[in-house]
Amino acid sequence: MESLVNLFVRAVFVENVVFAYFLGMCSFLAVSKKIKTAFGLGLAVIFVMVLTTPLNYLILNYMLEEGALSWISPSLASVDLTFLAFILFISTIAGAVQLVEMVIEKFLPALYSSLGIFLPLITVNCSILGTSLFMQEREYGLAETAVFSLGAGVGFFLAIVLLAGIRERLRYSNVPAPLQGLGMAMFITALMGLAFLSFSGIKI
Amino acid sequence: MKPIRNLVESLEPHFKEGGKYEKFHPAFDALSTFLFVPGHTTENGVHIRDAMDLKRTMFTVVIAMIPTLLFGMWNVGYQHYLAYGMDMSLMENFMFGFWRVMPIVVVSYAVGLGTEFVFAISKKHVVSEGYLVTGLLIPLILPVTIPLWMVAFASIFCVIIGKEIFGGTGMNFMNPALLARAFLFFAFPAYMTGDIWTDLTPEPGHALVDAYTGATNLVTFDNDFTQLPSPSDMFWGFEQGSIGETSVFAILIGVFILIASGVGSWKIILSCVIGTLAMGLFLNLLAPVDVPTSSLHTPAYYHLLMGSFAFGAAYMATDPVSAAHTEAGKWIYGILIGVFTVILRVFNPAYPEGVMLAILLMNVFAPLIDHLVVERHIQTRMKRA
Repeated sequence: MESLVNLFVRAVFVENVVFAYFLGMCSFLAVSKKIKTAFGLGLAVIFVMVLTTPLNYLILNYMLEEGALSWISPSLASVDLTFLAFILFISTIAGAVQLVEMVIEKFLPALYSSLGIFLPLITVNCSILGTSLFMQEREYGLAETAVFSLGAGVGFFLAIVLLAGIRERLRYSNVPAPLQGLGMAMFITALMGLAFLSFSGIKI
Repeated sequence: MKPIRNLVESLEPHFKEGGKYEKFHPAFDALSTFLFVPGHTTENGVHIRDAMDLKRTMFTVVIAMIPTLLFGMWNVGYQHYLAYGMDMSLMENFMFGFWRVMPIVVVSYAVGLGTEFVFAISKKHVVSEGYLVTGLLIPLILPVTIPLWMVAFASIFCVIIGKEIFGGTGMNFMNPALLARAFLFFAFPAYMTGDIWTDLTPEPGHALVDAYTGATNLVTFDNDFTQLPSPSDMFWGFEQGSIGETSVFAILIGVFILIASGVGSWKIILSCVIGTLAMGLFLNLLAPVDVPTSSLHTPAYYHLLMGSFAFGAAYMATDPVSAAHTEAGKWIYGILIGVFTVILRVFNPAYPEGVMLAILLMNVFAPLIDHLVVERHIQTRMKRA
């Protein structure tokens, strides 16, 4: 139990997908102009992560890894399908995003139109694929995978909402022309990363 | 004063629009308004004129920092002679520290203001006074042994990356002085941690005393909190540390000036104290009974006295630009600073002192806190309507 709490805290703060691994930068920088939109996208990312990473865990452990297929017939025990991991992970994620998109379009049309192209683009949000791949690389169990995916999602959510808050505050500031918009967001991200460094090395 | 005023007035036409040195108008403006009350009049609309402009506000903060600066100079000398086992008079201690600290202050001001001038000229706005405070904060939160070129480097970094690219004074979302320190801390860890807190320039005829230890209190604190100096030493400031942070007493004088003049927010200072005490007491409950020296056992009020907590809460957390702006937000912001300070101090062996990073982190959270507070206000009003 304690290790699961530790894993969650690490995923949110210490190994934040945005500030420690620079994953998911495109939507992080593009959809962080307003807090409301960032909030919606952050929630969507949490949902997709929590749905897909454990699913990918099951796919990996019961279909792809060497010997994983032996539950069908013992003769398949020597089959190793891990080379399909990328393509299957992405398919799971794409499917989950389709689901989220339909739900948001039906129930939150205002958010749907403000997210625009970035909602379907969650499919290729590298932080989501990255979380699945970290799960594979670090050989987490099912419970760990679930907690880790929630932590990574909350980490992304926190990062994008914080950035949106800062950008809203700086909306009327006199930024040098070449840095307006994206350039400034990059600098803010860098400084936020500096502040998040305070957690590196923390142990609970 | 009269000759200077005449000189300024005679030079003014050259710097006005169409004058020979039009380009340098911001620099001239900064100097002349620094010396004399400007003669500008407003041109449209109704304006409230108040003597308490940005320049006076910043100067009040600078005055509030003078006690810590003076005590810091004395303590630099005191710690130096203590390490060599020499008993010196008050004045000798102070003069030693004066000659060590003054160059850092001068470099910080000269380089930082120089950078501001360059930006003011190229961006054609007036030089603002924000750097008066930042330029004194930077020396006060650095160890006395810091090389001067690093002070210069950090000043340039904090003015450009911390402030100017966001549109100058009043637009920075992080406290520039803290940013300068965090930058040095992560870029040159060898100069910012370890055996650096006392000036160990050799004294002819004297050797280091045997009991001398170079690590700051907070390093030993992680393993065994009983190694900390006595609470009274920590309160008066007879301990090693950054130049301005050691004496809680000197800082309290500054806090009095800040609160009496209304420049610093008492809400933020008080809520920082509450957050720290609450988290300290909470960790006492969790502390393992069989390890009486564990840092979890530290009495909560120790957290207020040791390290740079008092300095950070008084001069950095209250920065009106980077703190939360709403009144309810200030309470949340301050309490979270206290909580994170204690968490980072106790649980993070990589960084012995947590105040700096806790405040930086809360600077990042402050806009979001404000947003949530405002949203909540809107909701309660909507319900009432």
